[in-house]
Amino acid sequence: MVTKTNLKVAIAHLTSRKRQAVVAVLSVTFGVGLFIFMKSFVGGINAQQADLVFASSAHIRIFNEANSQVPNIIPNTETQVVNVRNAKAIQYTEGIKNAEKVIADLQHNPHILSVTAQVNLPATFKNGSAKTGGVLSGVDVVNEDLMFGMKKFIQNGSWEELDISNNHIVIGRGMAEKLNLTVGSMIAVTSADNVSKNFKIVGIVYSGTTAVDDNKGFIKKTAALQLSKKNQNYATDIQINIRDFEQAMEIALPMKQEVAYKVESWQESNQQLVTANNLRNMISTVVPLVLIIVAGFGIYNIMTMTVNEKIKEIAILKALGFGGKDVIQIFLTQAVLIGIVGAVTGIGLGYLISTIMSKLPISLGTANHLIILFEPKTYMLATGIGLIITIIAGYLPARKAAGVDPVQIIRG
Amino acid sequence: MENLALSVKNINKYFHDPETFQVLKEVSFEVKKGEFLALVGKSGSGKSTLLYVLSTMDTDFTGSLIINGTNLEGKTQNELAAFRNEHIGFVFQFHYLLPEFSAIDNVMLPAMKLGKKSHEEIRGDAMQNLILLDLKEQAEKPASKLSGGQQQRVAIARALINQPAIIMGDEPTGNLDSKNAKGVFNIFKQLCKEKGQTIIAVTHDDDFAANCDRIIEMRDGILFS
Repeated sequence: MVTKTNLKVAIAHLTSRKRQAVVAVLSVTFGVGLFIFMKSFVGGINAQQADLVFASSAHIRIFNEANSQVPNIIPNTETQVVNVRNAKAIQYTEGIKNAEKVIADLQHNPHILSVTAQVNLPATFKNGSAKTGGVLSGVDVVNEDLMFGMKKFIQNGSWEELDISNNHIVIGRGMAEKLNLTVGSMIAVTSADNVSKNFKIVGIVYSGTTAVDDNKGFIKKTAALQLSKKNQNYATDIQINIRDFEQAMEIALPMKQEVAYKVESWQESNQQLVTANNLRNMISTVVPLVLIIVAGFGIYNIMTMTVNEKIKEIAILKALGFGGKDVIQIFLTQAVLIGIVGAVTGIGLGYLISTIMSKLPISLGTANHLIILFEPKTYMLATGIGLIITIIAGYLPARKAAGVDPVQIIRG
Repeated sequence: MENLALSVKNINKYFHDPETFQVLKEVSFEVKKGEFLALVGKSGSGKSTLLYVLSTMDTDFTGSLIINGTNLEGKTQNELAAFRNEHIGFVFQFHYLLPEFSAIDNVMLPAMKLGKKSHEEIRGDAMQNLILLDLKEQAEKPASKLSGGQQQRVAIARALINQPAIIMGDEPTGNLDSKNAKGVFNIFKQLCKEKGQTIIAVTHDDDFAANCDRIIEMRDGILFS
């Protein structure tokens, strides 16, 4: 701990150079403030991007990948010629036949938060002569909402009503506009196998992703099974949400061995997004970090000047019986005080900029203002980095001061 | 031995820059408690160098140094700093107060560092020292606002605060006019008589030296007493 006397000397030094002290504090303030704002801003963008992704797909998806590999027949000898015309890949299995067992096996995995099965099939949506292609998604109404938050995307009507009848459907806003439909209208859906059925629209969904809004219709899973003439145990996709979506890749890896179907983490299916997120994270860390380091150089400079200016006082303190440790304490205290005041005001500045920016009416996707995170983690990280840099910047001049030979200074 | 404040034996010291040169040659002497000693000599004779050796700040010498019964050979810089704090008071030619601190805060500084008394007790002691040196009115003024004579008296008050075994002065009156110099000398004399303080002062001032209990003269690194 800093002794009261050393603290008093440190404060006297700081207040005798008010202007320099203020400049040093401000440099930390701006560094920490910008660090917080950049991190919060980029974090918000990344979270929003992830939200968009997770509105239509889960953290991990299990499906049966269509086999597109045409077997290559290799001739036995050099004289033999093989000629296969019109080669085709034959898919022996379609979808996941034993979905319930796969799901039951997955329930044991402690990382998994929720699992839901979907029956997705390509379909044509018709209203009179207007028609559009898309995907008909048979879902477990309750689980689907738990995983993707469907209720909050509903613009008109209600999501729950889907569960009431096999004849109810919820469609995307883009599709509703294209086919000129509203809640309460009827819509005709034809499957790829040419099975047709009429549904009553009970809700319009707007998620911000075109994959959902322009292309999707949601019905009960049982209705989709009927349309595709499959049994209860069938599903095309099993969607899995885990506790920490950042770990999807690591958790998906062992599953690939256990499950007979294709297991894909969201990072694998959205590589572009992952790259962009990483890049943004990097920039949002490096730029403010450089700023804080520059602030550190400023503090180093100011502290070195203080040491040079106060060198006689340091000599006198040592003559009076202050040890090297006391001198280090005196100068380190000054740096820490600058760091603490800078970090606290920096937190204030970061919070202020973040708040102002989050209120500006700039619309992005479904949000009508910028999404900015307010995470204690970011604030603590910024404070920690700010303090560490100021302590390092203060320690070097402090050590120099501690090494002052009082005889040399006093005798001149 | 009991009544010795300081004893040095066979002290040798060399300067190596620009070339090796022996500045103290086999210096040995003793100082009794309550003695007022003047250390005189021409510039370059080694008198100031000897004082800084005695002060424990300069450790680059050979020989033995015993202050107040403590042998200071082989102690670390931090141990020596703690020893100085408790047993030695300093008065310099240039007053060397902390300019941002008030007179009384300057006086309190060594006692705060020692930390053996409460803040209130130290403040009381400091005030008494300031009264003794006729500085009562100046107690709360910042050191930088005091006159040269006043600053030197504050420095003396500071040197006294821990009731050290020895007060050492490096030309304590060297930067003062004759009136103030006389005042400071009288204070030293009074401290010796009334408080039994031991004082060792390096001086150029012949009047100052003449009135001391004992004069030690340095000539080319050799001590004559």
